Amino acid sequence: MNKRSFLLGLSIIAAVLLPFLPLLLWSVSNQWFYPALLPQQFGLRSWQYILSTAGQQITEGLVQSTSLALVTTCCSLTVALPAARALGLYCFPGKKAIGLFLLLPIIVPPLCVSMGYHLWFIRLGLAETFAGVVMAHLTFCLPYTIFVLWGVFTDYDPDFEHQARSLGASPIQVLVNVTLPMILPGICIAALFSFLLSWSQYLSTLIIGGGRLLTLPILLFALMDSGDRPVAAAVSLVFVLPALFALLVNAHFLGRQGMTGVR
Amino acid sequence: MKKTLQLVLLLLVISLTCQVDKTQAIDLHKASWDEIVQAADGQTVDWYMWGGFPAVNTYVNTYVAARLKEKYNITLRQVPVKDIAEVVSKLVIEKQAGKTSGGNVDLMWINGENFRTCKRHDLLFGPFADKLPNQRFVDWSKPSVYNDFGTPVEGMESPWGSAQMVMIYDTARTPEPPGSMAQLIDWIRQHPGKFAYPAPPDFTGSVFVRHVFYHYSEDVNLWQGEYTQKQFEKAASATYRLLTELKPALWRQGTTYPESPVRMNTLFADGEIDFSFSYHQAEASRNIQDGLFPPTVRSFVFDQGTIANTHFVAIPYNAADTAAAMVTANFLLSAEAQMEKAKPDVWGDFPALDITRLPRQQQQQFIDLPRGPATLSNQELQAHQLPEPPSEILIQLEKGWEQHVLKGR
Repeated sequence: MNKRSFLLGLSIIAAVLLPFLPLLLWSVSNQWFYPALLPQQFGLRSWQYILSTAGQQITEGLVQSTSLALVTTCCSLTVALPAARALGLYCFPGKKAIGLFLLLPIIVPPLCVSMGYHLWFIRLGLAETFAGVVMAHLTFCLPYTIFVLWGVFTDYDPDFEHQARSLGASPIQVLVNVTLPMILPGICIAALFSFLLSWSQYLSTLIIGGGRLLTLPILLFALMDSGDRPVAAAVSLVFVLPALFALLVNAHFLGRQGMTGVR
Repeated sequence: MKKTLQLVLLLLVISLTCQVDKTQAIDLHKASWDEIVQAADGQTVDWYMWGGFPAVNTYVNTYVAARLKEKYNITLRQVPVKDIAEVVSKLVIEKQAGKTSGGNVDLMWINGENFRTCKRHDLLFGPFADKLPNQRFVDWSKPSVYNDFGTPVEGMESPWGSAQMVMIYDTARTPEPPGSMAQLIDWIRQHPGKFAYPAPPDFTGSVFVRHVFYHYSEDVNLWQGEYTQKQFEKAASATYRLLTELKPALWRQGTTYPESPVRMNTLFADGEIDFSFSYHQAEASRNIQDGLFPPTVRSFVFDQGTIANTHFVAIPYNAADTAAAMVTANFLLSAEAQMEKAKPDVWGDFPALDITRLPRQQQQQFIDLPRGPATLSNQELQAHQLPEPPSEILIQLEKGWEQHVLKGR
């Protein structure tokens, strides 16, 4: 039984990591023509390009992407938590309409949303600023965050909070010791969604950021066009690794915590 | 909720205070060149350009950036984009919103359609090209320089380099390539499935259609001057008829087209098709050097010639650092910068200068430049150059191709 679950785990890991193998091979190949199975010549040309010539841009992109994604995630959690609690715990007229309304940014093409924003953001002085781009990203992250947390709060029993209060806990103690531990797995998933969505935004960053904020996707998309597969593969790896890291940390955290607190 | 509101307000305040209003201290239209260079001191140029070519990125971010810093104390910041048209639409929206100064785009790498759009919407600063001292090395009497795809340049953009379409083949697979368009058409018929072109409006796919169009034109120079719609229709319909008829002989029976020249290059490198072509005469050599093409690849031009054009840099109407952008455009035209750009291991781009106007010693340097193994000599290329037709013809051909060849109506 143990051996079987080990094999299962191994095959899952292989299924997740195997697609990265060609990327890794491409990034260290100097010559790779059909029909050879492996590169005919290995070399570090693409990594040299990324680390030396484009090094400054890539570092700037990494910092920019990470800080944007983190700030967006924090903002979206701050807004989404109260909203999801209200939607999950209370019944009020128009609840379904609000749910539909929240889905709008996902239904409307991102190009229309971004172009519409651009005009207004220029007038408000928000275009080409960090705050403006965060707001644009929030449009796409918020629906997902709210929907994930909405589900969490549907299964949430506020009586635990009342119980703690009646036992003499202060509101802050209730929040820290009762509410947060119970919804933490849900928060982790919502935060991950938000982080990854913001991390992979291209169009809205380009239009609202106007090139002042050079994130990794912008650098990656520009290079994807080159047909220089080794360079594109290397940039893709740089792009994927932090996201993969966030995913693994989250999975590890969730695995330890389990979903025990939810019900 | 209160917290959120406070946060949003805080963000608003921060962003509003971050807006720095940069006003031009001098009138650049009247200033002398020395005054412009002085004004440029310490400015940062944000240069928006297509970023899909690592060799160009390297040239711009290392050589050009270092020289500008050292000579003029200008900081160059390259902004790589997927398509410069995205930047043009950004400018259109900024114009609508009434943003007349402090724009982030200082310089754009541009030509053809995008230049026409900019000029029509009044999105450019200028005329400025005639103010640049290095303009004296440019031959403004050449049709491909004073006309950018049929749109008069009128000093609204400054030439940076030029390019010519070349056919690319592998001597190991095709020892004797077809020398003319007529022979190529025969070759395609005899080798079904081994030829493809990117679907217009892709830039490179579109130039292939124009070559077929030229093949059916009695006189290529007719389109440069006065021509009647009837003459155009005649050549255009012959073009569509041929391309429709060739469909079954194309890669995947013409049911699909490679989406970009890059995809066509990879199909060619993978042996799926036997020809590629490029709007960049040194691309084949460059790709051999980077290991993307086998070393047996060579290039050729048709006996009747292939289309050549010029690419430019332009400055938006609301650029924040106009003076530095002008100095940059001027530096790009210097013999030194053009020479570096022409080196095959750097980029291998054609100079925008008329090298006969340079001092003798520099002329010799250009002549002595090593060429890559797959690049044709400058004499060979220059002897086979055809002008671009005006943008109207280009657009009509692209639309017609979609209607008649792609959709088969």
